[in-house]
Amino acid sequence: MDVDPRHYEQIAIKDIDIHNIVLSYLVHNCYRETLESFVACTGMPEPADYIEDMEKRKGIIRCALEGNALKAIELTEQVACGLLENNKDLHFDLLSLHFADLVCAKKCTEALEFAQNKLTPFGKEKNYVEKLKDFMALLAYEEPEKSPVFRLIGLEYRQDVADKLNRAILAHTNLPSYTAIERLIQQATVVRQSLNQDHGWGSTIFSDGFSRRLDSGSD
Amino acid sequence: MVCDLDDDEPALKRLKLASGNLTVLSNGSSLTEPIVGSSRDLMARPLQSEGDKEVIGLKGVIKKVEFVRIIAEALYSLGYKKSYAHLEEESGIPLHSSAVDIFTQQILDGSWDESVATLHNIGLEDESIVKSATFLILEQKFFELLDGDKTMEALKTLRTEITPLSIHYCRVQELSSCIVSPTHCDSVGSSDLGYGRTKSRAKLLEEVQKVLPPAVIIPENRLEHLVEQVLTLQRDACIYHNSLDKEMSLYSDHHCGKDLIPSRTLQILKAHSDEVWFLQFSHNGKYLASSSNDQSAIIWEIDVNGGVSLKHRLSGHQKPVSSVSWSPDDHQLLTCGVEEVVRRWDVSSGECLQIYEKVGLGLVSCGWFPDGKWVFSGVNDKSICMWELNGKEVECCKGQRTLKISDLEITSDGKQIISKCRENALLLLDKEAKVERVIEENQTITSFSLSRDNRFLLVSLLDQEIHLWSIDGDVRLVAMYKGHKRSRFVIRSCFGGHEEAFIASGSEDSKVQRCTRNSEVYLWHRRSGELVEALSGHSGAVNCVSWNPENPHMLASGSDDHTIRIWGVNALHMKHKSAHCNGIHYCNGGT
Repeated sequence: MDVDPRHYEQIAIKDIDIHNIVLSYLVHNCYRETLESFVACTGMPEPADYIEDMEKRKGIIRCALEGNALKAIELTEQVACGLLENNKDLHFDLLSLHFADLVCAKKCTEALEFAQNKLTPFGKEKNYVEKLKDFMALLAYEEPEKSPVFRLIGLEYRQDVADKLNRAILAHTNLPSYTAIERLIQQATVVRQSLNQDHGWGSTIFSDGFSRRLDSGSD
Repeated sequence: MVCDLDDDEPALKRLKLASGNLTVLSNGSSLTEPIVGSSRDLMARPLQSEGDKEVIGLKGVIKKVEFVRIIAEALYSLGYKKSYAHLEEESGIPLHSSAVDIFTQQILDGSWDESVATLHNIGLEDESIVKSATFLILEQKFFELLDGDKTMEALKTLRTEITPLSIHYCRVQELSSCIVSPTHCDSVGSSDLGYGRTKSRAKLLEEVQKVLPPAVIIPENRLEHLVEQVLTLQRDACIYHNSLDKEMSLYSDHHCGKDLIPSRTLQILKAHSDEVWFLQFSHNGKYLASSSNDQSAIIWEIDVNGGVSLKHRLSGHQKPVSSVSWSPDDHQLLTCGVEEVVRRWDVSSGECLQIYEKVGLGLVSCGWFPDGKWVFSGVNDKSICMWELNGKEVECCKGQRTLKISDLEITSDGKQIISKCRENALLLLDKEAKVERVIEENQTITSFSLSRDNRFLLVSLLDQEIHLWSIDGDVRLVAMYKGHKRSRFVIRSCFGGHEEAFIASGSEDSKVQRCTRNSEVYLWHRRSGELVEALSGHSGAVNCVSWNPENPHMLASGSDDHTIRIWGVNALHMKHKSAHCNGIHYCNGGT
């Protein structure tokens, strides 16, 4: 590489760019109060319509995370009409969340009916068959957390779905579905790896603490 | 044991103990034991009588208890219920323990929970067997509940009884899917346990019986199975065996005499005016085709009595005719002149329908594709050429494919062509898969032929050996046959007899007997390699043999002495004329 990586020190950064990065992160994660105080502190122009949409989105995501997947679906339809129609994977994921909730609540009859009415239609398509089977298997266990498919009722899976939903709604309203900071960290990691590999220069670019964090983060 | 749910008999067998049977105790007194439900009672009756180490038979390897039990099972399966009951009584050896009897009945009655409980009383040591059997039973319970629309009960069974067994996780998953979508159930047959929707209770019993150790529940028809094994072994060991298996009797060890091996000259056919080089029966056994150095081929007809008569003489070749080939439907015949042309003839009229040739080259062998639509031929430029029936050339496999040998075979699925590609090697060419396999011998190959089931190749070699190769899967040598003489000429060999259990080959002059030259036809038992017969009669080298595919007792041989001999079995044994498909004499295993 001909360019000396230490040239980065010559580049000037504008405050407004940094503010926007932080802003995008806060918007993405619906941190309304933080957003409001940040905007106030930095004297940025207030992004008025952001707040309302954020609140709605926050509500939807919270429903999904807290075991109210049906409500999440309903609200999504209100905020982003047709989103789920065009995103069958997501639709299936949300419905299956509800199913999982019913199973955990030991409401077997309801779970069974729900599965028969709402989930099995997806089974006509090949790519849903395996997933459907996995979910149906939950029914067989009195203690689903001890079954081979326990991850389907776990928090991680739920967060994963909520995350997908969040990104889908953002995309639908023409906002970026990935925050600027996420992208920046991803890019930095790739650059660092590449420099390390080819030239052993990684450590010259970032401060030690940050490098270490990038290392552990890029696992 | 076909246990019909409507049939009272099984109930009688299984519960007969309950109606008060006599048990003779060791002190000579007898008591009537009504069997009721408690598990202690179920265990009370010992499974075997005293002396269960007792052996019978000359070699002392048969355990008496096992012997009696399989006889009892055989009696029961044959339907001789009273004899079966008497046997149990007289021998004091019950076919099954009382727990097993009760278990069996509970399965047939559909008392699932009770049967699972009884299962634990049978005294099985292996926990995993108990679990497997329990799984099978509960699965049946599950499916029967689903069938009766008792979905929630089925779900409960799954959750509380089946899943806790902690085995067959994949199956558990499928059962879950079955509850949710019944249509999915129908395709559930691909599970590792291998069965689909609700089976009959009798079938369930069968499957449970397979899981349980055979000493606990004797496998059905065990005695029949053992006897069949023995018959098969005897038949395979019998080197003269040349008739239907249903001839085998249990009264004495199977041992055929030579009387069903063709050994007598029945007819001498003298229509050729020079050496006979090639012979072949048609697929349906009704015709024989021969070809000769006299540049002609002859189609012979075989009548209902096995008599052979000349049907057509096929003239037209300008060179000796080295081989013939019957069409798959036997309506047409191909003949090949030595490095000349191939002619196609109509069998019923004797007319020549088509000539196949390659300008400037000579053809050396011929054959039909199994669909009868194409013919193929070896060319003396070492390629193999294929034509449609009307003479239009379709394809030509160039390269070192075939040497000047008149053998060219194709498997009956049309996929592989076999030809001699080098002096000591055969090429097995799969046209579609473009795969070539080679059989290599350590000396020159003079001729070869393919078995009817396409699995074996018989290869005749220069040094008087005939090798049998298996070509199914890996190519390997499986047997060798020796004894015949070969020094100067191409001698052919073939498969034949009932189920192609024999190998036949021609031979050159062997003995000088009373100033006449004598060449023989050699017959070997294929599996054992033993020489069975050497048939004398020809006074010149026997070049070719063919065994009638529809009549294992008819063999034909062609010789340098210009004649064809038809060989058959001894007339004394030709007692019956059975209704064979073409009316040819078929000898039953006479006494």
